[in-house]
Amino acid sequence: MRSGAASGHVGYFHEAFVYGSDEELLAVTLPFLLDGIAAGEPTAVNLDERNAELVRRALPTGAEVTFLPVSDVYTRPSVALRSYRELLASYVAAGAAQIRMVGELPPVLLGATWDWWARYESAINHAYDDFPLWGICAYDRRGTPAHVLADVARTHPLVARPDGGHEAAGLYTEPTSYLTEFRPAPADPVQRTTPLVELVDPTPASARAAVHAADRGLLPPDGLDGLVIAVSEVVSNALRHGEPPVCLRLWRAPDRIVVTVHDRGTGPKDPYAGLLPAGDGSDGGLGLWISHQSCDHVTHHRDAGGFTIRLTAGNPHFPV
Amino acid sequence: MTSGSVSHLGYTHGCLAYDDPAALRSLAVEQVSAGLAAGEQVWVICPQDRGTVTGWLASVPGVDAARRRDALRLLPVGEAYRHDEVVDPERQVRAYVRATTEALTAGHTGLRVVAEATDLVRTTAQRDAFARYEHRIDHWMRHRPMSAVCAYDRSRLGDAAIAELACMHPQTNAEVLFRLHAGDGDAVVALAGELDPSNHRGFAAALERADPRPVAGRLVFDAAELRFVDHRSLLHLRDHARRHGAVAVLRTPSRAPARLVDLLGLAEVRVEVVR
Repeated sequence: MRSGAASGHVGYFHEAFVYGSDEELLAVTLPFLLDGIAAGEPTAVNLDERNAELVRRALPTGAEVTFLPVSDVYTRPSVALRSYRELLASYVAAGAAQIRMVGELPPVLLGATWDWWARYESAINHAYDDFPLWGICAYDRRGTPAHVLADVARTHPLVARPDGGHEAAGLYTEPTSYLTEFRPAPADPVQRTTPLVELVDPTPASARAAVHAADRGLLPPDGLDGLVIAVSEVVSNALRHGEPPVCLRLWRAPDRIVVTVHDRGTGPKDPYAGLLPAGDGSDGGLGLWISHQSCDHVTHHRDAGGFTIRLTAGNPHFPV
Repeated sequence: MTSGSVSHLGYTHGCLAYDDPAALRSLAVEQVSAGLAAGEQVWVICPQDRGTVTGWLASVPGVDAARRRDALRLLPVGEAYRHDEVVDPERQVRAYVRATTEALTAGHTGLRVVAEATDLVRTTAQRDAFARYEHRIDHWMRHRPMSAVCAYDRSRLGDAAIAELACMHPQTNAEVLFRLHAGDGDAVVALAGELDPSNHRGFAAALERADPRPVAGRLVFDAAELRFVDHRSLLHLRDHARRHGAVAVLRTPSRAPARLVDLLGLAEVRVEVVR
């Protein structure tokens, strides 16, 4: 039996909460957490250090709230999806009737990499719906760009109000629609310079070799391995499922390597491509998912000219 | 015979893909010269008749004496292999085991074979059997004083057929992205090169033909020379291990495969990172 506003709801009760002050944040999160504890439900917080401390101080001593390490979970959307699903499954296996979580993306993720977090916010309506989760996604109105708030409104079926109310969101759009819309990500400034490498119809092996040659010690070993795997998968997908020619471009900036792979096709049909594993590994579904796990940012760009996937290894947070 | 690395002295099992018959002739001259100089018994097996091959070898010092004392045998293909038939891998390996022993008994330091085997691998069934044989004889050569270079005529077989065979050799001049051959120590098989979306089906076929068997529940793959492996080929390793109720152990200097194994939750694949 689920407690509170989600009582009687099946699956994920996914709420957006846009707040404008510390008082508003506490006015919603404190009763949310305390009611969960009172109902014997697993209750977790995933807020940045400052807000986590605010909530921690406001809670009674010894309150059974789990504070998740925010930087670990919110590294990459596909990683967050995987680790949250594992965590939720463990709670359910332990007998939880409902799990309560309040989380907030760190401000840096609302910039150059917001597009893939917007995809995440939409995809989890499907991906967490296997679980009796009541999740509140907090956004600080004072630091969140308007276009981000517009995406928040379209990706959350429910809204928590500062006065304690919960209501359906009028602009909510199903992930299968939202995720297939054309949503341009901001161009990385390095893309306005001449690429270091340009290859037409490369084999996956020659694409990997180009990444190794361009790296020259720039990326940490894991970052380089991750980019090499991603480039290999993305080139292979484009050759196999895309429309020729396949064009790979690579740029090297002081703190990152950026690779785009373009073909004339329309890109993956699966709305959850990259965020959730698809298939058994024989087709491209797992490869794209692995690429999203192993790069610091992945964008999908569709236009009249075709489909472009952009992979960034290193620091993806250029100023927007 | 330059690509690939020889793990210990004297272990040579090469594959020469050639277009120009002159390359076969050069190979025969090179191998006969080196073999006789090393005191080995040398067999040259090719479709050409003895007169032609004798002509090729005219420049090799001591070649006539070598033939008289049975240090050099020139064999038309049909005398060493059952011509145009599907080779029986076990029987063929037994024949070379016997030949190696006889060469040693006769006072030679080992057995060296140059074999032009194009006629034995023209059909799919022939190639399948021959690739299985190549891997079995590779294990013998890895540990005993026998070496061989197999030559295949690319103009008659094509690149795809050549690749099926070339990948089963530790050394080859053919354009193959990966190689699978006998390992050393507790490693039942060694992998080299790169395993990626372009060749994972070829790898699955090679693995099935090599059919390595577990020892004490472990199938150890020496991947010291494997520069890249993707999830498809890790899944093939997993499937093979699962068929034999074993755990596949991939021994590699790279940290990347372990991350993929973790990500995919492959319980039957263990990655050991070695320096």
